[in-house]
Amino acid sequence: MTTYRKIDVSKVGEVDVAVFKDKKILDEEALDELRTELLGLLGTRAGVDLLLDFSNVEFMSSAMLGLLGVLNRKIVSSKGRLKMCSIRPEIFQVFKLTNLDKLFSIHPDAAAAMAAF
Amino acid sequence: MTDSTSQRQPSEAPSLRPVDVLLAEDSRIQARMLERVLTRAGHSVRIAGHGGEATALLAERHPDLIISDIEMPQMDGYAFCKAVKTDPATRQIPLILLSTLSDPVDIIRGLDAGADNYVTKPYDPEYLLARMADLLATPLGGDAEEASLEVTLAGQTFKVKAGRQQVLNLLVSTFENAVAKNRELVVVNRDLSLARDELQRTNEELVGLNERISRINSQMTRDLEAAARVQQSLLPDEAVEVPTIDVAWRYVPCQKLAGDFLNVFQLDAEHVGLFVVDVSGHGVPSSLLAVTVGRFLTPKVSDSSLLLRPDGDSVVITSPADVAAQLNDLFQADEFSGLYFTMAYGVLHVPSGRLRYVSAGHPPLVRVAADGSVEVPESRGFPVGFVPGVEFDGQDLSLAAGDRLFLYSDGVPEAMNAQREQFGEEAMVEVLTRHRTDPLDGSVAALLAEVERWCEPEGPLDDVSILGLEWKASGT
Repeated sequence: MTTYRKIDVSKVGEVDVAVFKDKKILDEEALDELRTELLGLLGTRAGVDLLLDFSNVEFMSSAMLGLLGVLNRKIVSSKGRLKMCSIRPEIFQVFKLTNLDKLFSIHPDAAAAMAAF
Repeated sequence: MTDSTSQRQPSEAPSLRPVDVLLAEDSRIQARMLERVLTRAGHSVRIAGHGGEATALLAERHPDLIISDIEMPQMDGYAFCKAVKTDPATRQIPLILLSTLSDPVDIIRGLDAGADNYVTKPYDPEYLLARMADLLATPLGGDAEEASLEVTLAGQTFKVKAGRQQVLNLLVSTFENAVAKNRELVVVNRDLSLARDELQRTNEELVGLNERISRINSQMTRDLEAAARVQQSLLPDEAVEVPTIDVAWRYVPCQKLAGDFLNVFQLDAEHVGLFVVDVSGHGVPSSLLAVTVGRFLTPKVSDSSLLLRPDGDSVVITSPADVAAQLNDLFQADEFSGLYFTMAYGVLHVPSGRLRYVSAGHPPLVRVAADGSVEVPESRGFPVGFVPGVEFDGQDLSLAAGDRLFLYSDGVPEAMNAQREQFGEEAMVEVLTRHRTDPLDGSVAALLAEVERWCEPEGPLDDVSILGLEWKASGT
């Protein structure tokens, strides 16, 4: 059983849910740790359904988008599904400006996301 | 017991039958500590908090021995001692003064008060018990006739009344104290000496380490500057000599190594290319990616350039959308760095003023017309590196005479002031519009100046790239 420092991990039905713990996802070190934990959570499994919950996130650097892109590519290419939820408007701006709101599957809250799986 | 020359160590002192001790000490903690020492040795103890109380307890019952502190309220140790020693009923009771003995004159005072022994604080309990044993074993000089002695100390002469036995007792105890203290000092001195040597060695190590750090730092600075120069080579190196267009740009990286770069260049007799690229993140990895991407975006026909392809005898200009798609295939965000980049790349057909461009996740172009109207066409397309094999939308823009086109990095609209407010797209457009009748270079400089003013006092936290082009229409 791995201990995660950056995410709270749970399983809801067949869906892996990861809630970001930090209010700010800013510096290199934080991103590195998140990368290790999220990729570790994914492991070598195929067909993973993963929901990323941004409820606690108040500030996020655009470098984080790269990590989300990598995650998306890995999950999609192994026939899984990646969804995100509870993204605050200020953070959502970062997605919109790069058109990534049209790439990622983003839902207003966890309930809506789960319903869409 | 008149053998005053015997050197008897306290540890060889005769063991003492249980005695009754009167202790005058105003510090409750110290009194309790001493009481414990004495009761453990089998003695009984009565405690008084000051001279007056001690006198009362004394009157109640004579103790076998008195131990008295000196600093006490109401009646200090000297006064109490004098009282005990001048009263014939109590004169015979041995009295030990507890003193810090910080001043040599204290000895005189002790003698004058009639004390039999000094024990300096802090004291070793065993030492005190030994002193007690010695005192009680030696009967005090019973002579009531005390000589008046003169002694000079520190340039002053004192007259002291003291019996011979008393003087001897006091002298021995004082000397023993001094010797013990001296022994302690020698040990402390030796430890200090060792500590000093250790410190010296550590200091020398530190100096050595500091020099190493300094050298490594200088090397790193040189490396960074060399890398920055490589990056500078990505910027426009030749002026664009096309009579019907004007070009101006500003490039301000926020650190030595940047994730932004821009370029504007002639592709062939009728076409000019221009772009701004923004790599995510900061520092060395972003800068390395920027340089690598830059190699593919050279306007010279080469194996690596994506912009121009030889086609038989002629050269074909790759469409901006295709350039983006090829870059996307080459530079999928790597799992370990997660680096991606956004890009706005346009190819202008100079005779007609038609611009074909692609904006991959990049802030939208801004067109400022001569009449002040502004167009900010929607930017389509994901950043480069997100979706393998995706196609990018080519977009078109027709420039009219006097139109100005601006490309920039998000370091402009997202520049933050001290209150963490963003400069904003509207403010940027407003500045460019306001300066539309200034020379193109002036308006670009003005925008940079406004951004830098906005970001005072810390300055911009992200790279700032601004690239402007004015189409003056054919023939003008």
